[in-house]
Amino acid sequence: MMKKKVVSVLLASAMVASLAACGTGEGSASKGSSEKKAKKVDVTKEDKNTLSVYAWDKNFNIPALKAAEKAYQKKNPKFKLNIIEQSQSSDVETAITTAGSAGDFSTLPDIVLFQDHYIQKYVTDYPKAWINVDDADIDWKDFGEEKVSYSTIKGKHYGVPVDNGTVVFAYRVDLLEKCGYTLDDVTGITWDKFIEIGEKVHKETGKYLLSMDGDGNDLPYMMLQAEGASQFKDGKAYITDNKKLVEVINKIVEMKKKDVLYLANDWSDYTDQTIIGDKVAGVMNGNWIIPTIEQVKENEGKWEITSMPTLSGEEGYASNGGSSLYITSNCRKADLAKDFLAYTFGGGEGSQDTYDNALKDGGVITTCISAGKSEVYNEGVKYFKDQAIYSKIVEMGSHVKVVEQSDFHYTCREQIAAAIQNILNGTDTKTALKDAEKQLKFSMEK
Amino acid sequence: MGESSTKRGLSVGQKQHVAGWFFLTPATILITIMSFYPMIQAFITSLKTGSSANLVWTKPIFHNYTRMFSDGLFIRSIGNTFLYLIVEVPIMLVLAILLAQILNNKDLKFRGFFRTCVFLPCATSLVSYSLIFKSLFATDGLINHILVKIGILESNYNFLGTSSSAKVVIILALIWRWTGYNMVFYLAGLQNIEYSVYEAAKIDGANGWKTFWHITVPLLKPTIIMTFIMSINGTLQLFDESVNLTKGGPANTTITMSHYIYNNSFGQGVANFGYASAMSFFVFVLVAVLAAINLKVGDSRD
Repeated sequence: MMKKKVVSVLLASAMVASLAACGTGEGSASKGSSEKKAKKVDVTKEDKNTLSVYAWDKNFNIPALKAAEKAYQKKNPKFKLNIIEQSQSSDVETAITTAGSAGDFSTLPDIVLFQDHYIQKYVTDYPKAWINVDDADIDWKDFGEEKVSYSTIKGKHYGVPVDNGTVVFAYRVDLLEKCGYTLDDVTGITWDKFIEIGEKVHKETGKYLLSMDGDGNDLPYMMLQAEGASQFKDGKAYITDNKKLVEVINKIVEMKKKDVLYLANDWSDYTDQTIIGDKVAGVMNGNWIIPTIEQVKENEGKWEITSMPTLSGEEGYASNGGSSLYITSNCRKADLAKDFLAYTFGGGEGSQDTYDNALKDGGVITTCISAGKSEVYNEGVKYFKDQAIYSKIVEMGSHVKVVEQSDFHYTCREQIAAAIQNILNGTDTKTALKDAEKQLKFSMEK
Repeated sequence: MGESSTKRGLSVGQKQHVAGWFFLTPATILITIMSFYPMIQAFITSLKTGSSANLVWTKPIFHNYTRMFSDGLFIRSIGNTFLYLIVEVPIMLVLAILLAQILNNKDLKFRGFFRTCVFLPCATSLVSYSLIFKSLFATDGLINHILVKIGILESNYNFLGTSSSAKVVIILALIWRWTGYNMVFYLAGLQNIEYSVYEAAKIDGANGWKTFWHITVPLLKPTIIMTFIMSINGTLQLFDESVNLTKGGPANTTITMSHYIYNNSFGQGVANFGYASAMSFFVFVLVAVLAAINLKVGDSRD
């Protein structure tokens, strides 16, 4: 009896000890790996030719930063860019929130990559966390006006654009042809015509012509921007009286009811089930969605991209998502940082190299108009029937209208998405939108 | 005592007191730093507003507290949380007590095996079990597959995309996860009841039902009250299921209080710490009041 007990105690403690060792083992393994020692940086310990930067996507924006590092080394061979990978974009936001709340910015790197829709709020909330780049040698007119409008706060430029959020509408042209349509038939059409085509496509092929995440619904924003309108007016929520928005929402509801649009339960359902799961004949989102479309290997050569439909039937252009680089107030080499950004992403001498390699290695598309004219941009892409989609996207990006932005972009998106769900469940449009507006106004007041 | 205190030095009682305080000190200091100090700070924060770099006192001072009652979404999150509480806790506790009763049967074979099985869900992590439920109830998940195959459903049903069924799924998940946990307490309680009491009841001619109500339940009362308070407390702070199973959706109809508080402090680029702290305090008060009522109701002393 006693022996049994002793043995089991020994076994249990052996297990606990070995599991505990697992923990430490893992820690030391990651320390030894080629990745940077820690996710935190200490800028005071850097030499004078090194800059540190936070970024989050090793398939997308990190290759772009590496391309920029290489390009700048032509000017300054000793230059080093210390790229610290974060697991997601919100980690950068959390880092700023934490530093800003504590009033101690020493934990921040020199430069951070930051999401465009959030930056206005973070500059307003934590003004001491940033250094503006107004005096950097950058020709701002060489960038898409809409893109630069995010990083311009109270007339001052805070960020340098990296990627491009221009909305593309990608269609399965093979399926369209089956139903008797060509890409021209879906370019520059009204949403009513789109619904008509979508109904036919669903009837004949069983696929939806459009899908979206139902809870984080980006459709109202994109469709409204294509009309040159916003959900905000003079800093206030503009919903129930906004005729264009009401019309857009009616169209979305109609699309859903007529099986033209599929609303997924959440973001991963949207990407995994509808796009990768090959349920759709059309995808409309920021062009960063392209790598997701390309994951379905067997559909290579069946897609093409074009502009969005609008209410009036003109070609529609919008932008959704994207990020820019910002210098934090913890940067002690602001001049180097500004020069680096201007030379590479800012349209300087190194920008051609930077953006060409960023596109090749990471699929990052520029909003810099002159950089978008290079050869690399004009090459056809096999997946999209050899269409030169990149130059097309840059061209479309230059047409995107500037609309009023708000710190409450995502709160608004969530409320409008909720309103759409409620309308689909039987609430009448007016009441649902009134509720959404009330809740949004509530969130906006202090 | 009076006699001993006249002697020089410390009396035995006093020595015990000193020793007692000595042993209590580390825990007291830790709990003060780790729990009470943050609580006081949170209360101060709850009276402030603005970005976290620039918090200012609200005007009037309890503005955050009055504000939450005109917040439709917060009211709905309270409603949801209480719905989960009212539906889930009784079902779960009754199931737990029945299972405990069955598994306490001395003649049952493989008792240990069954007990382990019932307790096993508790060993799974909250996030992973939520994700498993999510994939089970997905539109093209296993449950839909089965229901369509046996002909109960005509076509796949979007369980998590419809607010009523999403709530049912959350409640089912909670029952699955927590019944075994409560059962263990009841089993322990049942084992403390002398078997002779049951024998006596049998001799007096009581049937199973009567024995259960007149012997098991009264003797288990302290355990029942404890599990009740723990379940109420746990449900009011429900977070993982709401976040991982439904993300509060569709259209925020399944969101819980804790999830909404989280969204206000860390979600979607909003760092509304003042308002979030105020809501946390409201939850704190709710838990305290419910626990107090429970203790009063369950108190057998007069």
